Amino acid sequence: MWASASFVGVLIVIGLPLWWKTTEVFRVALPYDRINAFDTEAHYVTTRLTILACDEKTAADVADEIQKAFDSSDVIRLKIDKHILHPELQNVLNTVADEEEATEKVSEIINLDEPNTFYVVQRKPLNHHVWVGPERLAFFRDSGATSKLIDCLTKWIYQPSVLLGARSELADEARQVRFPSGSGYHIVLSVVHPKPHKLQVDFDAAEAVEDYVGTFVDKLSELHNFTLKSQWLYLLDFEFQARKVMDSSEVGYHYAVRQERLHSLLTKLEERAATHVSEQPTMNLALYVVPCEISPLYIYDQNDKKVESPVQAFMSPKWGGVVLCSPECGAGVYRPRSQLVMGTFVSQLRKLLGITEKVTIDGVHLVPLHSVSPRDWEVDTLLRIRTLEQVSSAERSLKSLAKLLGEISNIVINEDVGASITTAVTNIHDSSELMMAGELRGAHEKSRVAFLAAETAFMEPSLLALLYFPDDQKYAIYIPLFLPIMFPVILSLKNLVLWLKGASPKEKLD
Amino acid sequence: MSKICCLKLFICYVFLNLIFVDTDAFDIPEGFEKSNHTNNWAVLVDTSRFWFNYRHVANVLSIYRSVKRLGIPDSQIILMISDDMACNPRNPRPATIFNNAHEQINVYGDDVEVDYRGYEVSVENFVRLLTGRVPPDTPRSKRLLTDEGSNILIYLTGHGGDGFLKFQDSEEITSQELADALEQMWQKRRYNEIFFIIDTCQASSMYEKFYSPNILATASSLVGEDSLSHHVDSAIGVYIIDRYTYYVLEFLENVHPNSHKTMSEFLSVCPKHACISTVGVRQDLFKRDPRKVPITDFFGSVRPIIITTDPIDIIEIPKRNKNTENKTTNVVQKRMYLPQFPVHLIPSS
Repeated sequence: MWASASFVGVLIVIGLPLWWKTTEVFRVALPYDRINAFDTEAHYVTTRLTILACDEKTAADVADEIQKAFDSSDVIRLKIDKHILHPELQNVLNTVADEEEATEKVSEIINLDEPNTFYVVQRKPLNHHVWVGPERLAFFRDSGATSKLIDCLTKWIYQPSVLLGARSELADEARQVRFPSGSGYHIVLSVVHPKPHKLQVDFDAAEAVEDYVGTFVDKLSELHNFTLKSQWLYLLDFEFQARKVMDSSEVGYHYAVRQERLHSLLTKLEERAATHVSEQPTMNLALYVVPCEISPLYIYDQNDKKVESPVQAFMSPKWGGVVLCSPECGAGVYRPRSQLVMGTFVSQLRKLLGITEKVTIDGVHLVPLHSVSPRDWEVDTLLRIRTLEQVSSAERSLKSLAKLLGEISNIVINEDVGASITTAVTNIHDSSELMMAGELRGAHEKSRVAFLAAETAFMEPSLLALLYFPDDQKYAIYIPLFLPIMFPVILSLKNLVLWLKGASPKEKLD
Repeated sequence: MSKICCLKLFICYVFLNLIFVDTDAFDIPEGFEKSNHTNNWAVLVDTSRFWFNYRHVANVLSIYRSVKRLGIPDSQIILMISDDMACNPRNPRPATIFNNAHEQINVYGDDVEVDYRGYEVSVENFVRLLTGRVPPDTPRSKRLLTDEGSNILIYLTGHGGDGFLKFQDSEEITSQELADALEQMWQKRRYNEIFFIIDTCQASSMYEKFYSPNILATASSLVGEDSLSHHVDSAIGVYIIDRYTYYVLEFLENVHPNSHKTMSEFLSVCPKHACISTVGVRQDLFKRDPRKVPITDFFGSVRPIIITTDPIDIIEIPKRNKNTENKTTNVVQKRMYLPQFPVHLIPSS
């Protein structure tokens, strides 16, 4: 009997718990309550707006109106300071010739380089109601311009609707165009020359990318990492199905390609550009030199109307842009106008990175862009959008992961994944605090770390370590192994119990 | 009294108004069945090996050709083929694969981009592909880079049983594993809608465990039924296409990118007298009415084009401050060529 008791002891008392413990799916402890407490819809960004007016009443009126307009938005909070312009500066602003000069005068006194701030300054002799420059500064004429000012703050500068789209679960229109957040991007300029034997093209792609695109992305270096590349693709023939149209130009005709045809060009380009071999997402820029047979080529829209534009170009959301340039044939070497071509590419890149198009507002003058660098306040807007987007996305990823861990039992969470989840959780918390405090740069940096950590945690290959060993098969494997041994042990239990009950008097008798 | 009545009436009126406005907002507009996907992907998998399974490769390549013809670019098609029939020594016509005894179309063609081939087609790689948990050095062409706006077509063919699909004669994926993988995709918002087609024996058992939303599934046979092949090519000596896929292709041949055929037409493409097995359909997870969903939502491709009309008028040509630091890194040479003639061994006089 002692023998069977020891078998029971080893197998059931020690063996079973040991087996249970060792075959458990490995999961480190996770901050579930913090993850479940995430409230993605509650995040907002604080930003500082300073109003400088000539008299107290105007300042108060404008401030009140703006505050009222932004009260309804729960995604952005304005911290409005109002001051009266120093009489000296007021004098200077009223006498200088133009707004550029006025901006200079203001920047001598106020630091316009501070991120996440914006200054609204009154300047009485203004031709428009509101004037917006490339710096973090707008001029307005008087309190009558307040509605215009609010319009331009909502549509251009703060864009609460885009911020809302960045925070929400479903992609809005702006999010469908811009590239999703990531650790970095490649920007590849491909010069496509289908008929190199017929035409000589002179274009320094490497230098153009370096100078134009490089200068553009330098300003965005705190947002993303960029790698710039360029390449030439020869003999890539594409059937445009162009038709000849007679017109009143010098040559007397042009060729028309329908807009519906253009997406196949992207497919064709993709085959050859080989940009998907790299790990990072690629923004494709393609300069397509139209063959002489169909030059000059113009794009016709859905209504079969010629597109009126200084350049024949199109872009595809989350993919990149293409410029079609038609050479004058028979003139020897063809040199594409790099200013125009690169200006188009930069305009496309702006949209692909999330700088939305600025709709015109009556009475508000926006200084047109004449350089590749984005405006200062556009960079601020981008920072706000990306911060919100990354924090929301990180929270959603972690929430989904926590939910999946409850639903699917064989997902392994090892120490590395646990560590990145913890990193993500703390950085989300920090970022949201900084966002509310208005520390945009710090908030963005934290949100980026949180986003990448959450993404690695969800996509970590080790989560699938038990793929070949699902729970339902556990029993299928262990039962044939253990049941034959367990049978005699379990059967002996009855005897053992009887023995334990009746053994002691028996022993005494002996 | 009348005042209270008035107030009540007023409240009623406001309330009714609210309800009215509400219902108005939920009124189904004309374009309700319009999909809001922004890109299309296809995952086409042949799971079986060996020469006598020639027909499965023909199946999957035929579907590949169709989706490619309808506009999905190669970069958005993940093709998994577990055996290279085209170069099989038993193939009497090397480098070709036909899906018809008339041998009209060589489905292998000259531009087939196989993403996973041979022993790479495993349950692990398939699940990793779907869930996105691929090893970090995987190139982008072998990843399913879908997002919340992606419509995915998943086509599986091979040998299946009740609740599993065999991969390579050595392992199998269970319906539960597949359902879990799709749920993980849904939780990460890796798709907008999925159209799941499976052509195996007892195929419908594979989709029965699905529990994630927005999936429309169809199978070539119900549980307990076999899926049958269509015909033999006596020159090749094996069955060359399955019945279900044969009729699907016949249907797809008449679809072009602008056609108005609907998903319900696709779902009834192979009636029992033609297929012999019963085609199974599961649509309780799918929110839209298949009768109103155009087939091009899954087989075609959307690629929005925005015409650029506002180039930046650059006045001053920018010059980037070139980094003065030397970008070219000195790579330490690990290996070197020896001189062809060992002169260094000969002492010079």
